[in-house]
Amino acid sequence: MKSVIKHLKINKLTKLSFVLIFTSLLSFAQQGDYPNGKKLFNANCAACHRLDKKLIGPALSNVTEIRSLAWLKLWIKDNNALRASGDADAKAIFEEFKGMPMTPFPQLSDQDIVDILEYTKGKPKVTASTVQKINPAVARGKKIFKANCAACHKLNKKLIGPPLFKIGEIRSLEWLKLWIKDNNALRASGDADAKAIFEEYKGMPMMAFPQLSDQNIEDVVKYLNVGDVKPVATQVAVSKSDPRFDKPMVSVKVSLALTILAFLLLSLIIASTTKKRGEKSDEPSMLFTLYKNPFLRLLALIFVLLGSAYLVFAWLMQIDVNEGYQPIQPIHFSHAVHAGANKIDCQYCHSSAKHSKTSGIPSVNVCMNCHKSISEYNGELFGGYTKVELDGEIQKMYDAIGWDKENLQYKKDYKQKPIKWVRIHNLPDFAYFNHSQHVTVAGVACQKCHGPVETMDEVKQFSKLTMGWCINCHKTTEVNMKDNGYYKNIHEQLSKKYGLEKVTEAQMGGQECGKCHY
Amino acid sequence: MASNKKYWRSVEELKADSPIVESLQQKEFAEELPTDAFLGDKENLSKPSTTRRDFLKYVGFSTAAVTLAACEGPVIKSIPYVVKPDNIIPGVANYYASTMVDGTDFANILVKVREGRPIKIEPNKMAGNWGTTSARVQASVLSLYDNNRLRNPLMETKESDWKSIDKKVIETLKGLKDTDKKIVVLSGTTASPSSNKVIEDFTKAYGNVSYVVYDALSESAALDAFQEVYGVRALPDYKFENAEVIVSVGADFLGDWQGGHYSAAYAKGRKPVNGKMSKLIQFESNMSLTGANADKRIPVKPSNQVYALLNLYNAVTGNNVKSKEIAADKAVKIAAEQLKKVGKNAVVVTGIQNKEAQLIAMAINKALQSEIMDATSPRFVKAGDDKAVANLVKEMNKGKIGALLMYNVNPSYTLPNAKEFNTGLKKVKLSVTFDSSNTETALNTNIIAITPHYLEAWGDSTFQTGQYALMQPTIRPLFNTRQFEDSLLTWMDSNISYYDYIRENWTTSILNGSSWNKALEDGIFKTESKVEVSENTIDVNKAASSLLAVVNPSDFELNVYVKTTLGDGKQANNPWLQELPDPISRTSWDNYLTISAEDAKVLNFENWNVSDGALNGSRANIKVGDVTIKNVPVFIQPGQAKGSVGMAVGYGRTSGMQKEMMVGLNAFSLMQEFNPFQKVEIEKTEGEHEFACVQLQHTIMGRDEIIKETTLDDFINKPKEDWNKTPEYSLNHEEVPAERVDLWEKFDDTIGPHFNLSIDLATCTGCAACIVACHAENNVPVVGKHEIRVSRDMYWLRIDRYYTSDMTNEVAKEEGIFGSGEMFNEMMVPQENPQVAFQPVMCQHCNHAPCETVCPVAATSHGRQGQNQMIYNRCIGTRYCANNCPYKVRRFNWFKYAENSEFDFNMNNDLGRMVLNPDVVIRSRGVMEKCSMCIQKTQLSILTAKKEGRLVKDEEFQTACSSACPTGAIVFGDINDKESEVIHLIKDDRTFHLLAEVGTKPNVMYHLKVRNTEES
Repeated sequence: MKSVIKHLKINKLTKLSFVLIFTSLLSFAQQGDYPNGKKLFNANCAACHRLDKKLIGPALSNVTEIRSLAWLKLWIKDNNALRASGDADAKAIFEEFKGMPMTPFPQLSDQDIVDILEYTKGKPKVTASTVQKINPAVARGKKIFKANCAACHKLNKKLIGPPLFKIGEIRSLEWLKLWIKDNNALRASGDADAKAIFEEYKGMPMMAFPQLSDQNIEDVVKYLNVGDVKPVATQVAVSKSDPRFDKPMVSVKVSLALTILAFLLLSLIIASTTKKRGEKSDEPSMLFTLYKNPFLRLLALIFVLLGSAYLVFAWLMQIDVNEGYQPIQPIHFSHAVHAGANKIDCQYCHSSAKHSKTSGIPSVNVCMNCHKSISEYNGELFGGYTKVELDGEIQKMYDAIGWDKENLQYKKDYKQKPIKWVRIHNLPDFAYFNHSQHVTVAGVACQKCHGPVETMDEVKQFSKLTMGWCINCHKTTEVNMKDNGYYKNIHEQLSKKYGLEKVTEAQMGGQECGKCHY
Repeated sequence: MASNKKYWRSVEELKADSPIVESLQQKEFAEELPTDAFLGDKENLSKPSTTRRDFLKYVGFSTAAVTLAACEGPVIKSIPYVVKPDNIIPGVANYYASTMVDGTDFANILVKVREGRPIKIEPNKMAGNWGTTSARVQASVLSLYDNNRLRNPLMETKESDWKSIDKKVIETLKGLKDTDKKIVVLSGTTASPSSNKVIEDFTKAYGNVSYVVYDALSESAALDAFQEVYGVRALPDYKFENAEVIVSVGADFLGDWQGGHYSAAYAKGRKPVNGKMSKLIQFESNMSLTGANADKRIPVKPSNQVYALLNLYNAVTGNNVKSKEIAADKAVKIAAEQLKKVGKNAVVVTGIQNKEAQLIAMAINKALQSEIMDATSPRFVKAGDDKAVANLVKEMNKGKIGALLMYNVNPSYTLPNAKEFNTGLKKVKLSVTFDSSNTETALNTNIIAITPHYLEAWGDSTFQTGQYALMQPTIRPLFNTRQFEDSLLTWMDSNISYYDYIRENWTTSILNGSSWNKALEDGIFKTESKVEVSENTIDVNKAASSLLAVVNPSDFELNVYVKTTLGDGKQANNPWLQELPDPISRTSWDNYLTISAEDAKVLNFENWNVSDGALNGSRANIKVGDVTIKNVPVFIQPGQAKGSVGMAVGYGRTSGMQKEMMVGLNAFSLMQEFNPFQKVEIEKTEGEHEFACVQLQHTIMGRDEIIKETTLDDFINKPKEDWNKTPEYSLNHEEVPAERVDLWEKFDDTIGPHFNLSIDLATCTGCAACIVACHAENNVPVVGKHEIRVSRDMYWLRIDRYYTSDMTNEVAKEEGIFGSGEMFNEMMVPQENPQVAFQPVMCQHCNHAPCETVCPVAATSHGRQGQNQMIYNRCIGTRYCANNCPYKVRRFNWFKYAENSEFDFNMNNDLGRMVLNPDVVIRSRGVMEKCSMCIQKTQLSILTAKKEGRLVKDEEFQTACSSACPTGAIVFGDINDKESEVIHLIKDDRTFHLLAEVGTKPNVMYHLKVRNTEES
């Protein structure tokens, strides 16, 4: 007991440090980093899994509600071992997927797995409760309007045809039905209104829509009378409560620092207290002995030097690695709106990617394919911009090419101004990269290197674009030889000579220096 | 009360008579400051030297600045088109068929265009012989981006605009209508139906117009002769591919003779197939490209060439026209026998610029009933009329010319009587030059109507009967230019553009219902037409007597010649051509007087090497008539006929040029009466000249593993081991071929393509088109005369030229001096009339490369496709690889050659950089570089095939050199493709590898040269 009393003070410190270690470890365990998880998911799981649907493997949305964290960790790291241990769930899954095992991911740490699982829970959802209830007929009408009329008509603005908001108050429903189904016939029948419209639009007739039923037209008119109902959204962040995955208050770095601090404290305590009891007090403490030991001092010096060399090297290595580079662009163009919300294919705009070494920034005439009729932004606001500001961004494009949005025509003799975008992905001159090789031949998805561009309002550099990053992918990617006539002979030779059915890009010579540096 | 205190500044002052105090009262300092020590030396002060402290400050500051600047990458802008043209995909090259016509060079070509910039000229294989490219055609794309081109038209040396020029010209021309003063259009050969028609229309519109054609490299004599016999002013076509014996008297037909483009046809007959190949016998004074390729070359000085021709006529026909006996008569007789033996497959050509000489050559061909000369499909690439030009100069001086419009000519530089021309020009009321830069002629004219480069212009051509071609713009005009034809059309009040004019002309008189678009796509349009020629008899006796009357033998005779590099000097401002070494002398950036070793000894001229291996030479003053050129460098040329000297034209331009390119002396001034043969007086002067010579007058030095050759006789009758023996080594007490003895493990090259390059020395003429093509494709920098001189040339591909020597290993053994220094000294000296062999050498892409094993950072490595890869960004510049390379093909970047004012060539200005190939990186200072076997091209071919999901076709694999080679001597392909051409070549008996005994296993192979030396 004596000793305990003697070391009471120290014991308190020890306790404190244990608490510190425990809390920091705990904070590690609880940490679920959504963005990191997303990245890891895309890199490791996305080849076989989707969140929302079954691909090769099952859909993984909210998988944490079905399985326990411990089970998931075991499963992901080595599902074969788990199955071999006789786990019933593992066996069931194996059978469900007809004996096709999942690739084990021993390289993923527990933390990685927690991050991935955080991602599978989806974004913190925003629910919108609309104040007004929308009449189903109006909704139907809106759909029909978008499909058939929106190319030439807008609600509040003249486009190719007149604005149609509350058209039902100007024209009778019967007249509208006749007009929409066959306006030429209506005019031929001598209808004065029909003729007047024809003359107003300089003899340009409207397309006939005989395919629309009376009900369709009624719906459209109902929609036109109401117009777009702006959903007044009350944003309520709903977070699911699951104690295991709650976001911790402390970040990784802090918890790491805590751990190190605690260990230091502990070792100090141990060092300073390992003096044997009963020895003379004039003997130096162990800490002092350690400090005086020349070998240890040399060792410490070496460690300090090596450590600082490592730090300097690490610092040097990150120079000009611009992961996350997100420059301000001359136009606040949102990929999330175009590729995300409107689901425009990447290669519609970046059309050179399949033919050329550069993916190509679309020229303004490509933008104008759609923006001839879309001169204002009516989607969800983003990036803290107001609607007026975003409409101004569209106007910048019109200024470049010289489009008169009022009269819907190109200005004559307009001096066109090119748009000076800021290049995000900068490879050095001595590295040759060819988009078409990857897009057309290998069929690599754009997102593999560029990340989820369809979710980015402002694009940033997603990947490191370092040589190691390239090589890693070349080492792991298998060449698809089956569907390409070029590999006909190569494939035959390979299987004959080495019995290989599959080779990676690196084995095919994709790791030779001269393939990218000339 | 005044103070009586004494203030003193030093104890010295307290002494009453101190001299220091005395002097200090006079001056601020007691002693003279040693200002002279650091200010007196004016020379030192003007030098930008720095003190140690300053130096350290600068170092510190710049290191800090560089470190700080390196922390943040620059913001790079990316600017897309506003409206993208449909047929342009950024990053993908487009090819357009076009035609090069600049008055000197004529070729049907393909133009490689990247993002609207032409960057490379390729041959148009559809056009046959006319579709081949020479060094000058390959280099012409750089002339488009010549920084010395004028930006705006000039009137009275001030920048002007087309409106005021049109006003002034039309006013003057209309004013001349009713006077007795003529309007003269003076142009180089256009070979263009539409251009000629525009000039015709212009003549009709003004009435008092005459049209004179002037070629600086004139073939007026041959044209006159052909006209006299066949009634058409054109040149005959020679089918050298069918010839069995070719005798040439001074005709450099592998060079520029009669418009060139004969090398492809000639080479077809030079591969020994079924024991047969053609035989070329050359009588000439200068060592020309043709002479270097000849099976038998007889050096004959200019006046004796005439006698040789006459004696040949006598020997072939048995007639006895008056002539003279010469030393070469024995060779003439043998040549005549051989000609007679093959009869219709024999041909005689001559380059003597004399109508009668040309007539006699024709007479010999007639006597032989030669079918090689074809008069029914004549060529139109030369049309110059020397007499008309001489007459024009006279009339100008008499004040009879009112207006002179000059297109594609530079008479103030190329005329021998340029001074007279310039005086006459002052008497012309309105002189207009159509040119793109401020040439010597343009300087003296009222108006410079700047014309576009041919790559920016519309045009058409007919080089030969039945073969039409179109020229189309491949870039928007860079400057405010207007085509010559458009100007003429404007000045005759026509509203039609030249493009519409051509189109109309083609639709009405050429296409005959065929598609214009197809013709434009192909670049050429062939018709079956042949010219009906009536044949007049040749009065040989009359011709011979008037020929003898003009022969003027003398001690020293000058033969002015044309270099394959610069031609007539039109592209003298093109650094690629200036730096291209002459195939024979291997000297760049210069012209010089070539002289035989024996004559040099007599006149006390010397060539010697200075310590760094560079060549220096004596200088001479030469005098032709009353023209003297001072300080002409003298170059001792093996094979130069005794009593003759040579000098190349095209150098000594002084206007519209960058300072660096104003090299050499103008030999045109010596060609009196347009005759390249002149009587000359030579006199040694003081001083020495520094040559930029990349290979001295070296022989093979007995190392017959480097370049192999054999005779046709041996080739047919002896086993392969006799004339193409692979070196052997002893392995396990057994002699085995060198390639079986190996230190290394074999690479597995059997999967995917494995590239091999084959070079046939039998058909390589040494024309150097491949070198320029390599330059253009691979962004090889130009380094300038000084760097070449100190052996820092950057050529990835060089063509070695070797002479034979009297001393051989065998001779040395007989004389008992084998292996001694004496033997090697003797071996270095070439024969008086040596045989010449050319050998293109680039990186041999060894499978077991010595360079790879010594690189400390693995910056050079072997690729599975057989390419030895050089990674510039990894290279740290130890130069171990270059030292360990047995072929000396690696080049070190001693300096930064791009954007460096010390190397003010095309890579130092925005315009010149437009020619760079965007797929190949610009190497920076301190790294090694070398031939990559055009990996960017092979990778592109593979990628294209992958994208289309098919195998690569054999002809798709090309390197820049193989595609540019006019004779097909360079063949490139995949040896894993069993159908490829190159795999057949590998099995050929003539195949050998360079220095096979070293065991490097190169992927480049050679086919040894075969000489047809049969004398009977």
